[in-house]
Amino acid sequence: MKKTAIEKISELAAALMEKGSLLAPIKETYGHHFAEIQDPQKVDLNFYNTVMSPKGAFFPHKEDFIRYQIGKPVTEAQPVEVDAKPVILFGVRPCDVKSFAIMDIHFNAAGIVDPYWSQRRKLTTIFGYAFDLNQPVDGADFYNSLGVYAADPEGSDVFMVKKGDDLLLKGITAKGEELLGDLKVLVDAGKDDEKFYEETLQKGKEYKTRFLCIDQDVIAKKLEDIFHNNDFWTKVSSACLSCGACTFVCPNCYCFDICDDTLFGKGTRRRVWDACMFTDFTLEASGHNPRTQVYQRLRQKVNHKYSYHVKKYGVISCVGCGRCTRSCPVNIDIYSIIEEALKV
Amino acid sequence: MSNNNPYIPMPVQIAKITNEVDTNDIKTFRLVFLNREDEEKFQYMPGQFAELSIYGKGESPIGIASSPTDPGYVEFTVQRAGAIVPGLVTAALHNMDEGAQIGLRGPLGNSWPIDFLEKKNVVVVGGGFAFTTLRSLINYMLYKDNRKRFGEITVIYGARTPGLLLYKEELAAWEKRDDIKTIITVDKGNETWKGREGFVPAVCKEVAPSPNNAVAVICGPPIMIKFTLPVFFELGFSKENILTSLEMRMKCGIGKCGRCNVGSQYVCKDGPVFSLAQLDQLPRDF
Repeated sequence: MKKTAIEKISELAAALMEKGSLLAPIKETYGHHFAEIQDPQKVDLNFYNTVMSPKGAFFPHKEDFIRYQIGKPVTEAQPVEVDAKPVILFGVRPCDVKSFAIMDIHFNAAGIVDPYWSQRRKLTTIFGYAFDLNQPVDGADFYNSLGVYAADPEGSDVFMVKKGDDLLLKGITAKGEELLGDLKVLVDAGKDDEKFYEETLQKGKEYKTRFLCIDQDVIAKKLEDIFHNNDFWTKVSSACLSCGACTFVCPNCYCFDICDDTLFGKGTRRRVWDACMFTDFTLEASGHNPRTQVYQRLRQKVNHKYSYHVKKYGVISCVGCGRCTRSCPVNIDIYSIIEEALKV
Repeated sequence: MSNNNPYIPMPVQIAKITNEVDTNDIKTFRLVFLNREDEEKFQYMPGQFAELSIYGKGESPIGIASSPTDPGYVEFTVQRAGAIVPGLVTAALHNMDEGAQIGLRGPLGNSWPIDFLEKKNVVVVGGGFAFTTLRSLINYMLYKDNRKRFGEITVIYGARTPGLLLYKEELAAWEKRDDIKTIITVDKGNETWKGREGFVPAVCKEVAPSPNNAVAVICGPPIMIKFTLPVFFELGFSKENILTSLEMRMKCGIGKCGRCNVGSQYVCKDGPVFSLAQLDQLPRDF
């Protein structure tokens, strides 16, 4: 295990930038965001959680597929390759780390590998970061309900724990261990650091978020049973603006659109994030649209995460990070919807 | 990465365009591959679809209308969209001439379950424009090496007017064959129409295909489906033995973009072909 003083975080950032592109939290006008670091001084670990999830590291909100020129033969179109440079994703909370494994299942499902997601995953080393157990838990979080705790290292290559003014860094995978070994700015951690680290992992289990006993098969069946309970879905969606904010901040929402952009005679076909909360998401060329009503779209979102995903992939597509609840302009809370659904 | 990148279309050329209907808004495009390896890779079965891709406009998922027993090309019958929703791709396609080059991604989705249909009597029921992948299936079953694998083949196909019937020459050829029973109907005929008049559900009732060792394959507009299904239930067809093909808005075509789900199933990947028994397991969200 290694360590560094938190005040020397920019030195660590600079060393990591020599190993690849560094994606780390920076403070912006409104909250913290993961950004590709140009100035190592900007890296700021003094955050609760980022506003947007880190899914953009593997599934950027815009991903170019093909570039072409209008009027030129189709054979001249150029597929866009992912930059093969290694990436370091630094400072990811345990619930968000878990979201990557859930997304892996989908993007690799049914024998069709999404080349962009998979390539970016392979190129990336993940530095997980335990929640600060001395700070109060945010009321929106409920990751305990999804089996994640505040200091779970699972899924990280390197796991980081704050100890007073120090940052402890533990190699979890061979890839993480190797990278740590190369970083001269780090010093070896002592016995008491090792002890503190182990204790923190344990204490993380007592750091309580909201908790609801969610058996994935029970909730999946329940939602199936109340699919046609329009009264329920109308009530829970009565305030919904269908703005889609919840889906964009979500670490597990993966819906995308594929569209062409042809400004100035140059063409790009790319995928962009899309959301099942938008009316035209399911609008067909015939004019038929199976989800014209807000309640149908919110029902789709909740069912997708807690029922359809369980049936298809055997896992709930939510990690309880609380972002959708924090970002909702009308305070819709998916945790409360699940809680109410279980009572119906 | 691009060799196995499922989002990159293959280049194809429009070899032939057939205007199918007197309203001029449905055309069949015969596409040939520019690269031999793409043609070899494009191994499809009736019932599958592909994304037609036009750079600068986008992509449209369209059912494959030709049969794999006709090698060397792939055909798509495309309606120009735009009455309600602007149809950028289909409009651009309809404005193209033979020789133009576009992109093709596929084949996509499951197919009509040939193994399941084998040794059975197959009743094909189609309405209007939704006859394209049924035509693929019929031509596949009629292919000389395949015909003996199937029992009796009955086709009931209807359109609103005689001018809206697709594949008119093929329909006439099938009517002359004795190894397929072809019943063509129109809602309303005209002065030159000598054939049958009547809605598809009523004609199905009159023809009354036997449910014994039989499977019904039904595609058509929702209103036709709605009134045709009860006829087949009454005839004694079980839900396992009635197949249809669903449509939902699609983008990726490979079960990734999250758009076309009905319950836990992605229509583009798990479908588009489902039995009514399978659809009963899904929420009515389409």
